[in-house]
Amino acid sequence: MELKEKIVSSYLAFENDVDINSEIHDIRTEAFHNFEKLGFPTKKLEAWKYTSLNSVLKNDFSIFPNKENAIEFADVKKYFIHDIDTYKVVFIDGKYSSFLSDTTHDGKDVCLMSSALSKSKYKAVIENYFNKIAKQDNLTSLNTAFANEGAYIYIPKNVEVEKPIQIINFTTGNDAATMVQPRNLIVVEENAHVQIIERHQSLTENAVLTNVVTEIFSAKNSTVDYYKIQNDKDNASLVDNTYIEQKTNSVVSVHTFSFGGNITRNNLNFYQRGEHIDSILKGITIIEGKQHVDHHTLVHHIEPNCESHQDYKGIFDARSTGVFNGKVIVDKEAQKTNAYQQNNNVLISDKATINAKPQLEIFADDVKCSHGCTIGQLDEDALFYMQQRGIPKKEGKALLMYAFANTVLESVKIPEVKQRINKLIATKLGVNIGFDL
Amino acid sequence: MSKYTEEDLEQELKTKEYEYGFYTDIESDTFAKGLNEDVVRAISKKKNEPKWMTDWRVEAFRVWEKMEEPDWANVNYPKPDFQELAYYSAPKVKPKLDSLDEVDPDLLETFKKLGISLEEQKRLANVAVDIVIDSVSVATTFKKTLGEKGIIFMPISEAIQEHPELVKKYLGTVVPTSDNFYAALNSAVFSDGSFCYIPKGVRCPMELSTYFRINEGGTGQFERTLVVADKGSYVSYLEGCTAPSRDENQLHAAVVELIALDDSEIKYSTVQNWYPGDAEGKGGVFNFVTKRAICETNAKVSWTQVETGSAVTWKYPSCILKGNNSVGEFYSIAVTNHYQQADTGTKMIHLGKNTKSTIISKGISAGKSQNSYRGLVHVGARAENARNFSQCDSLLMGNACGAHTFPYIEAKNKSAQIEHEATTSKIGEDQLFYCNQRGIDTEKAIALIVNGFSKEVLNKLPMEFAVEAQKLLEISLEGSVG
Amino acid sequence: MLKINNLHASIDDKSILKGLNIEVKAGEVHAIMGPNGAGKSTLANIVAGKEEYDVTEGVIELNGEDISELAPEERAHNGVFLSFQYPVEIPGVSVTNFIKTAINETRKAKGLEDMPAKDMLKMIREKSELLEIDRKFLSRSLNEGFSGGEKKRNEIFQMAMLEPKLAILDETDSGLDIDALRIVANGVNKLKSKDNAVIVITHYQRLLEYIVPDFVHVLHDGKIVKTGDASLALELEAKGYDWIKKEVNS
Repeated sequence: MELKEKIVSSYLAFENDVDINSEIHDIRTEAFHNFEKLGFPTKKLEAWKYTSLNSVLKNDFSIFPNKENAIEFADVKKYFIHDIDTYKVVFIDGKYSSFLSDTTHDGKDVCLMSSALSKSKYKAVIENYFNKIAKQDNLTSLNTAFANEGAYIYIPKNVEVEKPIQIINFTTGNDAATMVQPRNLIVVEENAHVQIIERHQSLTENAVLTNVVTEIFSAKNSTVDYYKIQNDKDNASLVDNTYIEQKTNSVVSVHTFSFGGNITRNNLNFYQRGEHIDSILKGITIIEGKQHVDHHTLVHHIEPNCESHQDYKGIFDARSTGVFNGKVIVDKEAQKTNAYQQNNNVLISDKATINAKPQLEIFADDVKCSHGCTIGQLDEDALFYMQQRGIPKKEGKALLMYAFANTVLESVKIPEVKQRINKLIATKLGVNIGFDL
Repeated sequence: MSKYTEEDLEQELKTKEYEYGFYTDIESDTFAKGLNEDVVRAISKKKNEPKWMTDWRVEAFRVWEKMEEPDWANVNYPKPDFQELAYYSAPKVKPKLDSLDEVDPDLLETFKKLGISLEEQKRLANVAVDIVIDSVSVATTFKKTLGEKGIIFMPISEAIQEHPELVKKYLGTVVPTSDNFYAALNSAVFSDGSFCYIPKGVRCPMELSTYFRINEGGTGQFERTLVVADKGSYVSYLEGCTAPSRDENQLHAAVVELIALDDSEIKYSTVQNWYPGDAEGKGGVFNFVTKRAICETNAKVSWTQVETGSAVTWKYPSCILKGNNSVGEFYSIAVTNHYQQADTGTKMIHLGKNTKSTIISKGISAGKSQNSYRGLVHVGARAENARNFSQCDSLLMGNACGAHTFPYIEAKNKSAQIEHEATTSKIGEDQLFYCNQRGIDTEKAIALIVNGFSKEVLNKLPMEFAVEAQKLLEISLEGSVG
Repeated sequence: MLKINNLHASIDDKSILKGLNIEVKAGEVHAIMGPNGAGKSTLANIVAGKEEYDVTEGVIELNGEDISELAPEERAHNGVFLSFQYPVEIPGVSVTNFIKTAINETRKAKGLEDMPAKDMLKMIREKSELLEIDRKFLSRSLNEGFSGGEKKRNEIFQMAMLEPKLAILDETDSGLDIDALRIVANGVNKLKSKDNAVIVITHYQRLLEYIVPDFVHVLHDGKIVKTGDASLALELEAKGYDWIKKEVNS
């Protein structure tokens, strides 16, 4: 049975587990019909021109992992940022793991989507924010249709969350290929601040497909600092759909570190609904083998006097493929917009491919918009210089690559995250050196 | 204090009439409207073409019939009704030209209005001109001078008669009949165009030039240009276009094929000033053009274009850099005003080793127009050491227009070096005040700033063309005429 | 030459000039000094006709004619030249092309033909030598990538080319090293005649050692509060502006 059919026929079974007489379920049903109509994206869609899911969709995914799989913390500790105190919302095969989690309701809510969707005390927030900015496209609709579990984070006015929040989704998939669809909602009220780290980690050699949707609302004067660490197994694919709405004077930054996985597709969408907003989108991609990472960004400048800064660096080895599709739209009303976009790529191998499409769509005249996109190699002269001073070629190369990607790391605000990323980069480049430049 | 602001300029732009808006009353011989296989055969017959040519057209027509009009470009327009167009229109009395004196005086007057009087061109510019009016070539000068060098430069209809082996060998090799909807249509119904062949090792001593005009209402113009530069040769080719104002939309779907054999160089410059429609967006030319070059080893092709006209422009002069060390260049200025829409750019396909390409695109949008750059830089797996530099700059005037950039970059070889930059800006109030303070009025200041903005491209045009292009830029954006 | 009477001006409803009077006669050099925010640059811009200022009261006369309704380029055609504190960059337009356009537009306004290319080149050569400007510099894009000194020298070069009746030098000395300052001052001095006038706006006395003013005015809070001869500049240099503020307030 094709995956689409399987999903469609599973919907009835899914309905057994949720309250079908709720407004939420009306939203699900509508999304379900939308997915039924649209199906999975194909390369014929302009947005999927350079990324094909065909090979992934061939897997016979189990849509509802029915076993409760327990994991020992010691086995998965390395996937946490464990050297600092954090809140944790952890899921195993799409089910909440209270054992691994550390949630709170103390002055803020860091908890579960399933309870937020069903309990009346969250009703107002859910009504105001759930599925309000998520697009009606193929995969987001699919996620919405089955939306039931994920992280629910609500930070009230003037609250500065004292420690970072980690959202981690493990898949064990011991028996078969597994598909999971977490759904996160993050609402940050006026003048509140939060730092979040998100990770999807497969613990199996079996195929995994994660189709996650995250909606983030950043109210007036709020700050959201978001880190996505993607370093999954070779058979794990990820479609990450993130939608962010910002209000006046808010600052939201999203750093995406893509070091592994099979096919990774990041759809990162910013909508600026207010003035003096700053949106920061940064990413480092270092991949090899047959890995494929596709960054699809959108920054929609709707109102005047806002800024956006995009900086994506990519290093591609072996037969890996990188895609960068960055779109900036500046509406007619969005005068005095400053929008910057940088995408720099290095191809290490003859078989690696990069496809880039940095687009600007500008309808206002008093704006500063620029994009730069380069594809190149490491500086051979610099490499030789380092060798001459006794640094072996491999380490020299690694240093150069690190320097190349470093502009992205500069804005990482959690030192432990930065250290972790440094370590991951070193591992990825096969060297054992510290990168504290 | 008398203020002359950008809004005033916009106001003036709105009321500006099309400078070349006149219609020369020459009796034309026009086919009835409509298109079917018989019409295609009739065109071929009218032109007394050999069977292979007729077959080629018919095959193209059959391909076209099955195709759908593309709609991926960032433009909106009412789809032309292909059965409402006439596919052939020739001046009834075809002048046989031994000297210019024999040319229909009305036609000569038309040329004068265009500022391209043949005598003057002959005297000043040392330019050989092939003029295509409503798709039929009426005058070719300098044939003799060129003939001595073995250069063939003639209407393609004549070339089909006189040099069938060359036309047959190269026609459709760069843009196959099935390439796209408009290329297929053109292949089926093209009425005339220019053919140019530069023999081995010959440096063409003068700029070759074709001037296209659409005169007859309700006709489509489908000209076909084929330029072949044999090994080690050089040619600079100019193409000028203009059409008088008409209320209905006129269709222009040309195909240009350039073949640059080993060590040759082709410079192809276009100044396009088809009627853009009036201030309300009524009328104007739909300009759907396929232009492509193939570069063999060490060959170089430069496309330079100044696009100021047409209601809708849809063209991507491209280079297939097949040979090692071949070079492709694209320099473009696209100006849109009122309701004009332009979706233009280039494709640089790097296949050979050490291939290089440069893209400089300057888009200027005013009024309610939409101006898009769409380009592809592709580096194939075997294209070692490919280099590309692209720069796309947009200048916006007023707040009702749009500027868009859609660059596609595909690299499959690690030694590729690709750089793409894009910026968007407006004319600053401080720049205008500075110019005003030095005695330069706002209108002139805008022309100066726009010229400065476009300079890198204007510099690439041959001298005679650069002057005309600068004038066109001013006309397209200035309030007062002349 | 220039007569300003009771000038009041504001920007975005903020009043900057509050009843300013000054008279400059042909052949004179006036210096306008004053602390930051006194309205010095505003005065220069208003005389040149910048539109973002609202002139709420007062008269500006040039050679007996009220110019307050004229567009900036018309004032320029009448001989007003402003050397900008921050000269503007115009990419792709060379210095030569720009000055040629400026001269010919001014001539056109006076009903004259374009200046013949030969004369233009000769003049450019002379004036660039006067300001020790390298010829290569003239083909660069206007002010783009120019150093502070180059920008100011280029302003005075344009002044030399346009031969204005009234030249206003707005902080022309800022950003200049001592050599450049001498070259610029030297240029200004050579261009000075009994038929034209110069207004030097400056913070410091430094420039006035080279361009010696006939009158020194102190601008404070939108008004000229003190006028003297060149020695006033020295006094200001030594004592600062505070004593003047006190004098005014008492």
